[in-house]
Parts: sequence; structure tokens; C-alpha cells
Amino acid sequence: MSVNPMAYEAQFFGFTPQTCMLRVYIAFQDYLFEMMLVVESVILKKLDGFPGCKISPFQIRKSTEKFLLFMKEHFDKLFSKMEEVLLQLVLNIPKNVVLPEDKVHEQYPYTKEQFQALQDEIRQLQQQYRAEASAGQALRAELEEQKAVQAELEKILQWFDGLDNICREHGTSNFKESFAFLTQNSKKLQDVLKDVEEKSKKIKKHDQLL
Amino acid sequence: AGGDGGPPVEAAPGRAQVFATVVDTFLEKLVAAGSYQRFANCYRCFYKLQPEVTRSIYDQFVSQLQTSIKEEIQEVKDEGNLEVLFNSLDKIVEEAKNREEPAWRPSGIPEEDIRSAMVPYLLKHRSYLRKVLKEKEEENRKVAESVLAGRDRIAELQQLIQARKHAWQ
Repeated sequence: MSVNPMAYEAQFFGFTPQTCMLRVYIAFQDYLFEMMLVVESVILKKLDGFPGCKISPFQIRKSTEKFLLFMKEHFDKLFSKMEEVLLQLVLNIPKNVVLPEDKVHEQYPYTKEQFQALQDEIRQLQQQYRAEASAGQALRAELEEQKAVQAELEKILQWFDGLDNICREHGTSNFKESFAFLTQNSKKLQDVLKDVEEKSKKIKKHDQLL
Repeated sequence: AGGDGGPPVEAAPGRAQVFATVVDTFLEKLVAAGSYQRFANCYRCFYKLQPEVTRSIYDQFVSQLQTSIKEEIQEVKDEGNLEVLFNSLDKIVEEAKNREEPAWRPSGIPEEDIRSAMVPYLLKHRSYLRKVLKEKEEENRKVAESVLAGRDRIAELQQLIQARKHAWQ
């Protein structure tokens, strides 16, 4: 016969039902014995008031034992029945019942593999998030750089516009053209100068040889 | 009997009720077994000598025994908060009344059992991560758009500057 440890009941009640029953049994039994001793001592005291009677304390003790034995037998039988009922109907959790604190186990019966998969998925999501976060940082850094570059370029444009405005203000609308003409001419001049230099070098050499 | 819609259906007694009834029955039967007749029979000599005293002693014995037993039961109920627990368990059992299969029980292996307990937290964590990841991706998408627009703008500015340069040459 296997003993049901009633562990789930213990989880709920905070004590093992059998232990509770045992405690109660011992307490009841103690009271019974105590009461009997009190009865006996009261009777003995009453007898002291009857010096002439032939009843000995020994007889009283025998009577007490007789009554107690009888009581104990019935007590044990009755308690046994009470214990059975209590353990079956009151201090028990039916097989089809799960305690509220354990509901998760029925809601999420994950196997080892499923659990692992869930953990892996979470890890992957964390990695992805980290990647997105650093990508975001890089993008924002470029945005800042762009702002600076745009500001510089716009300054240059403004400078050009400034020049145009000066020309317009001073009525020299083809200043641009003359400036362009000048730069081209100075280039031509430079080329011509180079030519002349080379030619004079050649002449000098020719002279020397002559 | 009778009435408007018939007598109300009596609910099955709750655990607290059964507990009280069972204890009362125990006491009743115990006292019935230890009857005055039996008591007087055991203490026959004294009974013959002092019948009223015998009766009085017996009555006190029974009364005191009942009191002690009832007090002990009350103490057990108070210490264990049994009244509340019984009602709570009755409710839990009532909720599961349509279910027939055996319910979950601790497997005895903590590593196995803790898995299910952790799953709801992991699921919450996962949905949180999915949410913030989506938000971050959306955020980055917007910033990327700005970056591309910025690059276009810079290219445009560079072109304008080139054009001005040429105009001055």
C-alpha cells in the first residue's frame, strides 16, 4: 500500500493533512486522559469525606481504567472515520483541479525545445535591435555632417551671388564677360611669353654656335 | 414546500460545513458511547454510594471534554486560516467542475516546472522587443530618407557652384 504524501494539498494548505490529523488526534487523546484523571481525583477526594466506606483507591483506579479503555476504543474508531472523511472530502484537492498559482503550467506547456526556440528568438530580436540602433546612430551622424557641408556650400553660393550683386550695382553687367575675357587673354599672354622665351633661347644658342 | 418557483436548490455543503459537521458528529457519537450508564457501571461502588455526585461528575466530564475538543478544533482552524482556505478551495473546485482530465501536478523537477512559469514573461519580453524593433526600423527609415535628400541637396549645390564658376571663366 503506497502512502499518498498529499504534497499538492500541502502546497495549498501550508501543512500536510495527515500531520494535521495526527496533531488533532494527539490533542484529543490528551484531553480524554486528562479528563479521566480529573474525574478520578475528584472521586477520590469525595471518598475522603467518607472515612467509613470500604471503597479503596485501587478500586477507583480499576474503574477509571475500565472506563478509559472503553472510551479509547470508541475514540479510536470514531476518530479513524472522521479522519477518513476529512482527508477525502475536506483536506483534499480533486485530481481534475489545478491551483490558480499553477495555471501557467496548463496555459503554457512548453517543451524544452519550444522554450529554447523562444529564448533564441528573443536573443535574435535583441541583436537586430542593437544593429538598428547603431545604424540609426550612423545615419544621424551623416545627417549632422551633411548640415555642415550644406552650410559651407551655401556660403560659397552666397559669395557668388554677392559678386553678381556688386556687378549689377555698379552697372558693369558685362564685368563678368570682361573678367572672363581678361583671364583668357592673360592665359594667351602667358602662352605667348613662353613661346617668345623659347624662341629667344634658340636664337641665343644659334648665336653661340655661330 | 411549495412557494412561487419551488424551493431553492441547495448547494452541496462546502468544506467548512463538512468539517464542522464531521467534528460535531464525532463528539456526539463519542459522548453517546461514553454514556452515563456506562460511566456509572464502571464506577459502580461509588455510584451506589453517591449517585447525585456521580451524575454531577459525569456531566462535568462530558462538558469539559466537549469544550476542550471544540477549542482545539477552533485553534487549528485559526492557525491554519482554514475557514478562508476551505471557501477558496471550494471556489477553485467549482470552477474546474466541467473538466474531467487530470490536472497538472508538480513534476518534482524544478527545471522542468519553472519553464512554464517563465514563458509568460518571455512572451511579454518578445512582444516588447518586436514593438521597439519595428519603431526603430520606422525611425531609421525616416532618417535614411532625410539623408538621401541631403545628399541630393549637396549634389545640387555643388552643381550650382560649378555653373557659377564656369560663368566667371
